[in-house]
Amino acid sequence: MRSIVVGAGLLLSLTAPALADRVAPLTDPVTLKACGECHMAFQPDFLPARSWARMMDTLDNHFGESAAMAPDKAAHIRRVLEDGAADRVGGKVAGRFLRWVAPGGTPQRITENPAFLRKHDFPESEWARPEVKAKSNCPACHKRAERGDYEED
Amino acid sequence: MNAPRSGPGRWELPALRLWHAALAGGFLVAWLTADEDTYRMHVFAGYWVLIAVALRLGLAAIGTPRGPLALVRPGRSRLMIWMGGILMTMVGAAALSGVVADAVTSVEDLHEGLSEGGLWLIPAHAVLVAWVFQGKRLREKVLSTIRPSVVPMLVLLGLVAASPAYAVDPARDAILATYAAAAKAADGTFGGFSAARGEQIYRARNTVNPDFPSCATCHTDDPTRPGRHAKTGREIAPAAVSANPKRFTDAEKVEERFNRDCKTVLGRECSARDRGDFITFLASK
Repeated sequence: MRSIVVGAGLLLSLTAPALADRVAPLTDPVTLKACGECHMAFQPDFLPARSWARMMDTLDNHFGESAAMAPDKAAHIRRVLEDGAADRVGGKVAGRFLRWVAPGGTPQRITENPAFLRKHDFPESEWARPEVKAKSNCPACHKRAERGDYEED
Repeated sequence: MNAPRSGPGRWELPALRLWHAALAGGFLVAWLTADEDTYRMHVFAGYWVLIAVALRLGLAAIGTPRGPLALVRPGRSRLMIWMGGILMTMVGAAALSGVVADAVTSVEDLHEGLSEGGLWLIPAHAVLVAWVFQGKRLREKVLSTIRPSVVPMLVLLGLVAASPAYAVDPARDAILATYAAAAKAADGTFGGFSAARGEQIYRARNTVNPDFPSCATCHTDDPTRPGRHAKTGREIAPAAVSANPKRFTDAEKVEERFNRDCKTVLGRECSARDRGDFITFLASK
């Protein structure tokens, strides 16, 4: 009996740090479909609400291409992203990313946040692998990224 | 040993009816909610249907061997037993493929096909039940006017009912008709869309955006092949209708894509004629 408790405790302590690399999965079907058409639909936890607001206001030039959409659809997605934003939901991951955002700052690229860079300090050749293609392609390495699980694989 | 029961339990027929209502209701809800906006309800109803199908086998196991819950009842029309079996298999397969499609999007087409098939079997099932239970009067009336046997007739009926599902997509034609009307309004001399002009747009090399010089940059030189987003690497389903029958059937999406991609790749809006030409080209590939 005692060994079971100890074993369970050990197992828990092993999984605990990994749990820190998880965020709630994005579930809104409209948002999943609209964002996921061109790239992984990132969970909103990685940017503050004001960043998402700016992003949804500038869809005409979305990282160099037009991602314009019907106003009602954009408004819906904007609400989903703002409601799930780092400064609205909190949590470990959100806190780690928010630490590096200036008050009032509206960063757009999650991959430029030091919280991301510190954990992705690889040689260029890693990023250049054909199945990776872009830094935004989380599921290339984190197989369960779309479910909010960024544990190492 | 207990004395053998003389007949089925009194609960069995009501249980069968309740089960039938649950299955039919679940299928109806799943059918009505098969849309992005009501996706959760659709998933719920799908699981409901799947459980109902499984429950039917359980009910058959606990029911009286020759009672209402038995899958094969003596004295019942063969045709009805077959119909029941096929319908249940189809509906069960549709629900099961839906569960898989929830995780693997490539199974979506199969799920849609199976559900469509199940949908067409339902009226056939209703007709058959009416036929068997309304009995002699109906049968004699119809048979006295038309002699051919019932089975081929039903098969024919089913085929006729199912054919629209596999016909050319009317939604794409409607989209093209809208663009044609707009093109005609803009230019009185407009004489129809041209696949050749559409191909020129598709293959042209442009200079506005070095990341996306051409449609073919992402959609590849052969539009029947799957493409890949030039920057994110996300896979894109084939642009050609022959390889991807769903292309250009959702008017809202078609407009959204033209509005975006013309601006990104060509640096300008596409006219109604451009859009119609482009669709005509990819519908011919």
